[in-house]
Amino acid sequence: DVKSYRKVQEDDDADGARVGGNEKFTNRPDNTAFTQQRLPAWQPILSAGIVIPGFVLIGLAFIGVGVALFVTSRSIQVLERDYTGDESGTPCASCANSNVQNCICTLNITVETLFKGPVFFYYGLSNYFQNYRRYGTSKDDNQLYGVLNPSDNCAPYAYNSNNQPIVPCGSIANSMFNDTFKLYQTVNGTRQEVSLDGKGIAWWTDYNIKYRNPTNNPLKDAFNGSNSGLFYRNFLINPIYWSKPAYELDTSDPSNNGFVNQDFLVWMRRAALPDFRKLYRRISQDKYPDGLPAGNYSLEITYNYRVYRFSGKKKVVFSNVSWMGGKNEFLGIAYLVVGSMCVFMSIVMLIVYAKFKFPDEE
Amino acid sequence: MTDYFIPRSAELSLCFSEPLFLQDVNDRWSLQHPQLYCPGQKNQYFNKKAFASCVMHSCYSSLILFFIPWAAMRDTVRDDGKDIANYQSFALLTQTCLLIVVFTQLCLDTYYWSAVNHFFVWGSIAAYFAITFTMYSNGMFYIFTSTFPFVGTARNSLNQPNVWLTIFLSSLLCILPVVAFRFILIQLRPTINDKVRYKMRKEVLPAPAPRRLLRRRSTRSGYAFSHSQGYGELITSQNFLMKRPLKRASLFPQTDSPIFQNQPQHYLDHQQIKKLTDSMNGGLSLLLKRRVAILVT
Repeated sequence: DVKSYRKVQEDDDADGARVGGNEKFTNRPDNTAFTQQRLPAWQPILSAGIVIPGFVLIGLAFIGVGVALFVTSRSIQVLERDYTGDESGTPCASCANSNVQNCICTLNITVETLFKGPVFFYYGLSNYFQNYRRYGTSKDDNQLYGVLNPSDNCAPYAYNSNNQPIVPCGSIANSMFNDTFKLYQTVNGTRQEVSLDGKGIAWWTDYNIKYRNPTNNPLKDAFNGSNSGLFYRNFLINPIYWSKPAYELDTSDPSNNGFVNQDFLVWMRRAALPDFRKLYRRISQDKYPDGLPAGNYSLEITYNYRVYRFSGKKKVVFSNVSWMGGKNEFLGIAYLVVGSMCVFMSIVMLIVYAKFKFPDEE
Repeated sequence: MTDYFIPRSAELSLCFSEPLFLQDVNDRWSLQHPQLYCPGQKNQYFNKKAFASCVMHSCYSSLILFFIPWAAMRDTVRDDGKDIANYQSFALLTQTCLLIVVFTQLCLDTYYWSAVNHFFVWGSIAAYFAITFTMYSNGMFYIFTSTFPFVGTARNSLNQPNVWLTIFLSSLLCILPVVAFRFILIQLRPTINDKVRYKMRKEVLPAPAPRRLLRRRSTRSGYAFSHSQGYGELITSQNFLMKRPLKRASLFPQTDSPIFQNQPQHYLDHQQIKKLTDSMNGGLSLLLKRRVAILVT
């Protein structure tokens, strides 16, 4: 029937639902490129001309980067000494076994060649799970930002047995590392102290933004509960394991006291892995601008932190850094391996392509 | 932790938008190659074997995405000696590796890159980094202190070269086996999809410049002319007397290139083709008679 066919044609060519009275086509989607999936599109396919040269290029680039990483990592100097004292005869075994507070033990270190500066001094802990979830949530960011009442996250380290609020509360703050170190160089039989610099060892966002002391001056006043903004009237006390309160962490420097103390901040930035190291000090470059010269050194350790109960280990690490950070040979080796595998795969794919190029016919 | 939720939305927006705008072989190719429907009928893309290979690929990717950052972050520090192996930096590194692997995998699986696809893919990556930096910014920390404890993490870890090298390593280690495997499979055992795509590509590439279509006012397709004007207008306007090649109506009035389709395609069946050729012959013979008549007079 020509007439009805023509009518269908007219409806067919008109756009969308603007059809004169024919209800069969009101739900038809618009005949635009967008709705009919006809947008102009780039259609890449995995052709040999792209994949094989691509693999070769990536492989060569990875080999180059891997060599650079490996060479750099090899040039970084690291010196580690364990001082847990868990076995008799090891350094600091006497302090590990005694219960004396502030027990001092000495570690003798020999530097063979010049330790190029800047030299960083870390303390390391093993078998210490700062990434444990209950431990990690046991802190109060609001309190460390200046609002001193402890939150429930910190339980059971929020209030002590006398119901006094603990500042700073929580398990992370409570377990703060409290060994101290002094480094001496033995020159001509005498001990010369090597000055250590503790400024700016934490992230700048931590001590400028994330943590803030209460605004009372002196800081001690914030802790006697007299601040009118707070609802409790008790003294705020230090965590159970601390020997001194937060406002005495560094009495010589108010910008390093209280919650913005650098050692405290370094400790609060909890580690991801059970074997970790945290920056303690830098060898200051006033007297040793090139780094630590070769020679004998003695490290005086004030052994306070007990790790025996959880079979933890303690060590000190001296290290210098490069553009890729600390010494880590994994990245260099991984890049070299992956680069070689890429080149090998490209050869395999070339052979496959040459022999089995798929035919054009159906 | 809740900090992971919002960057996931960048990934989810990509995952949900991609299927909406995926094109496929067009209707002409589908009619020419009905074997394209066989894989679906035979359940070749959704069966236990496909699922098992998917699970294995996921396991491999998961192992890579954890152990490469773990090994790269062990006992290492930033280039100024400060901490980088902390919980928040490690989390951010693993999360960024994961998202880049997902984006790259989606790019590999997108066969038709229209403007919409480009927008969603690059927009999602940009959104992820924008949201991450916003969440870890000072402003959000000041407003909601305990909700955004990751302040400073992005700024302090994503400016380290070894972090980016780790990200590249893990993403390429997840993606390159897939690319190599697919390429080898295309060469050794091409599926009907691969063959059709290859043919489409070969046809598209040497296509000539698009011809100007003979657009009639009524936008009717070619075969309809036999029901309406036909060659009457052409003959009476005497345009054929000018030295211009006559345009023959083609069987397929639109070009075959998929890039330039913007009209619905109409196809002729046997009777319509016969009618068309008859009317053409009739029109042409009339033209010739007329021309001869003019030349003679």
